[in-house]
Amino acid sequence: MIRFTQSFKPFWQTLNFSVWRTTGVLLLMWMIGGGVHAQSDRIDLDRIQRATVFIMQARQNVTAPIMTCVGTGTIVSRDGLILTNAHNTVPNRSCPGELLLIALSVRAYEPPIPLYQAEIVQADEGLDLALIRITRTNDGRLVDPAVLALPFVQLAESDDLRLDSTLTVIGYPNIGDQAITQVRGTIVGFTAEPSGGNRSWIKTSAQIPGTMSGGGAYNQDGDLIGIPTTAPITADSPDATCLTLQDTNGDGQANSRDDCVPTGGVINLLRPVSFARPLIRAASLGLQVEFLSSMRAVETAAGTPSFSGLFFTPAVNEAGMPTSTIRALPSGSTSLYLFFNYANMTPETVYELQTTVDGVDNPTFGLSPVRWSGGQNGTWYVGTSEQPLPNGVYEFNLLIDGVSSGTARLIVGPADTVPSFSDIVFGVEDIQGNIAGNGFVLPVASTISARFIYRNMVDGASWAAIWVRDNAEIPGSRVEEIWTFGEQGTRTIRIQSPSGLLPGSYRLDLYIDNRLAATSQLTLAGAQDGRFARIFDDTHFTTAQSPEEARSSAAITSFSAGTEAIYALFDWQLLAPDTRWTVTWYIDDQVFFEQTLPWAASESGENFLMRLTSRETIPDGTYRLELKLNNLLFGSQTARVGIGQLPIDRFASATGVQMSGTIYDAYTSMGIVGASVFIVSEDFSAADFLRDWNQAQLFASAITDRTGRFEIDRLLQPEVPYSLVIIADGYLPITADGVEFAPTDESFDIPIYLTPG
Amino acid sequence: MTVIEVGREERGQLTLRQRWSHYLVLVYALTMLIVGVNLRDSLLYATVPYEDVRAGIRAFYPQGWLLDNQGDYVFRVRDMRRTDFKTTIQVQILPVSADSTTRNLLDNLLLTRAQIFGQYRQFPRAIFQLPDETPATSVNYTFVASQDDPFLESFPTVVAGQDVVILQREQAVIITFQASADEYDTLYPVFQTFLADLEF
Repeated sequence: MIRFTQSFKPFWQTLNFSVWRTTGVLLLMWMIGGGVHAQSDRIDLDRIQRATVFIMQARQNVTAPIMTCVGTGTIVSRDGLILTNAHNTVPNRSCPGELLLIALSVRAYEPPIPLYQAEIVQADEGLDLALIRITRTNDGRLVDPAVLALPFVQLAESDDLRLDSTLTVIGYPNIGDQAITQVRGTIVGFTAEPSGGNRSWIKTSAQIPGTMSGGGAYNQDGDLIGIPTTAPITADSPDATCLTLQDTNGDGQANSRDDCVPTGGVINLLRPVSFARPLIRAASLGLQVEFLSSMRAVETAAGTPSFSGLFFTPAVNEAGMPTSTIRALPSGSTSLYLFFNYANMTPETVYELQTTVDGVDNPTFGLSPVRWSGGQNGTWYVGTSEQPLPNGVYEFNLLIDGVSSGTARLIVGPADTVPSFSDIVFGVEDIQGNIAGNGFVLPVASTISARFIYRNMVDGASWAAIWVRDNAEIPGSRVEEIWTFGEQGTRTIRIQSPSGLLPGSYRLDLYIDNRLAATSQLTLAGAQDGRFARIFDDTHFTTAQSPEEARSSAAITSFSAGTEAIYALFDWQLLAPDTRWTVTWYIDDQVFFEQTLPWAASESGENFLMRLTSRETIPDGTYRLELKLNNLLFGSQTARVGIGQLPIDRFASATGVQMSGTIYDAYTSMGIVGASVFIVSEDFSAADFLRDWNQAQLFASAITDRTGRFEIDRLLQPEVPYSLVIIADGYLPITADGVEFAPTDESFDIPIYLTPG
Repeated sequence: MTVIEVGREERGQLTLRQRWSHYLVLVYALTMLIVGVNLRDSLLYATVPYEDVRAGIRAFYPQGWLLDNQGDYVFRVRDMRRTDFKTTIQVQILPVSADSTTRNLLDNLLLTRAQIFGQYRQFPRAIFQLPDETPATSVNYTFVASQDDPFLESFPTVVAGQDVVILQREQAVIITFQASADEYDTLYPVFQTFLADLEF
């Protein structure tokens, strides 16, 4: 219900409804009451296009910036945080520029216009994701983030995705000389990797131009579900075009002797937006985690990157280990994982999996060139699940930087009845012979027990068990026997060392007739605590003036609001160098930092130190630190800052009604420049605001431009009764209470006429 | 012959009552004029009291100006009716050390504002005296203001401003006045009135 009130009348004037004012008011009432629907689709394409930016990485030159790389990005917060890829923003050998220029689609159907500069806030080069923040205007002036009110997009829950769902990818298809473009497609599959489980990548049928890398893919509700991602395009990439745009060598000509900007290529892979959430959260809150203690090893490759030891498994357990090894899959199988060892890999290494089925390329079961997101050395897998694998002969070819580095072959067809070992589990064996423990991280001891399942075994077959530590067979651990234990069941084997087994990573390989039948890994670390390992101890938080002081400060679980830094400390024992451990920080149960890195401190010690800081002070919230090995939790601590909960972000929602319009002079029909439009929050009326004139009573406001046009910079929530006040010097003001929008409204554009007073 | 005498009435003396009526009409008209002017002035120059106990500021700002105390200032008021630059009066308190001088402070202001405002130009500084004879330093400047919304077409506006800076008790009180350069002189008396009523 809408009420119109005429207020703020000079006392000697009487109400005098002019024709034009009445018409304008009635028009306003009708439109608000009727609910003008500018768009009936659920996806707000206009808003998404405005929130999609063109990013130009450049290097500073004496006279002008020299463009080095281009890409697309998406604004994910009102104050100018942009989500994009790392490979075309973080300086690297393919894209060496240090300057980031941001161009916006100011007018639909026109190329973007450079308006801002940005800086990198968070980046994960392995995941190829980066958060950059707008910091300056084009002329170098600082931008106040509190004043920026840019359109931004809503993130979706990637886990809600289904095969064959339609998605819309939005970005800039070229070097920035074309308007923003949308490409439609469907989800055709998911690719698994250890970095993110079964949905580490989303595969789409959409043929996405390479320069749209870093843009956004949206579901039918207009929520961001993924980021088109590809390996960096270089001049040598297939299907790449390198465009010469500037005279970079100063010889007076722009030709092939100058630096060029690589474009081209096609993308069909999306990084799920769930990978970006921790980065976005940390960037929004300005949180930074530093390792102050015995720095983590900088993984510099000592040799040529390589893959080896390829094998297949039909499933992966919760520790990321293969359940068994196979050479064939039965018909109707829906999951398959290719495991392999890797060495000398770096985040800038590009790897790719090409797959053929019966000699025909099948990208559904492959992986387009992407950056490496694993460590330097170890075991990795690429897999597929949730979709049936057609019968046929599968050939897999792993490539590193475009060069083949390993091949493997698998048959999908008849049921596999060959003898098999599977489901290796490690643990501590009790007197009754039961295996206990968490299965893949055991305390340092003198004995490791491993239990496995065997099927279709034939007595008389030869089998072997080989224990490996640090990729070298443990002397004296090999078992080579003739099988006499029946057709199927479980078997337990052990490795012992009277002097005690050293901490570190171990692997058990089981062979049947000299064929690798099963393999699994475990980590020995920490002291024995019953059946489990005690690796991390005395995990606590504290505050101090310096790291040295923090080491001797008492533990604190509740910090006052306004704390500038929080230190986290823990003791550790029997943790071998290069053991991969994972640090995860949470705020209000939401991850904002997670990193898996090789252990680089001593084997045992005290007071490993980390520091949490923020742009200003640590935001209120409940913080939790978790320490894990092989996805198993071994240390945790929680602390509260301030009220123990993040304040509600009034500007966090990207859903609502976009209100805009034009204000005209009722007599001349010319736009009124500089008119002020106020949206008063639902707790106050227009009369309240006109009496108090307090900014705190406002939900949003806007000022008209040279054409009389205004845009409210904050989305209005449906079914909330706002009040509207419009004023301009020389004109009679307009007020209205009870302005509400229906839940189905998405945008609202209205002409308003003011009468000269 | 009939004689018709056409003559004038002799102007007689005004009665006392008539004389007093004339006087009263004049007085009444004059009084109403004065009342009307006063009412007009009181409306046009009506002020609203503002007090911040923690900051120790008491001021009177023009009625109908939008009050904002949610930024890094004690308070800021703007005339939102203006269709050019929204005339602004702002009071800000900054902590300073005992070693800080007014010059240090103004230099910092210049450096900060030059990064935020387009074409920021500061004019020579001058000794200033508040209406209550408190010594201060004033600096006039100009810059170009434009709308932040990149999707609107706004022409930039040349803005003139003045900062009045008072150092006291290890804090600096900065009182800022900004208005469209075209209207600066016309609007300056509003700032003068504000300064006259300001207490800190």
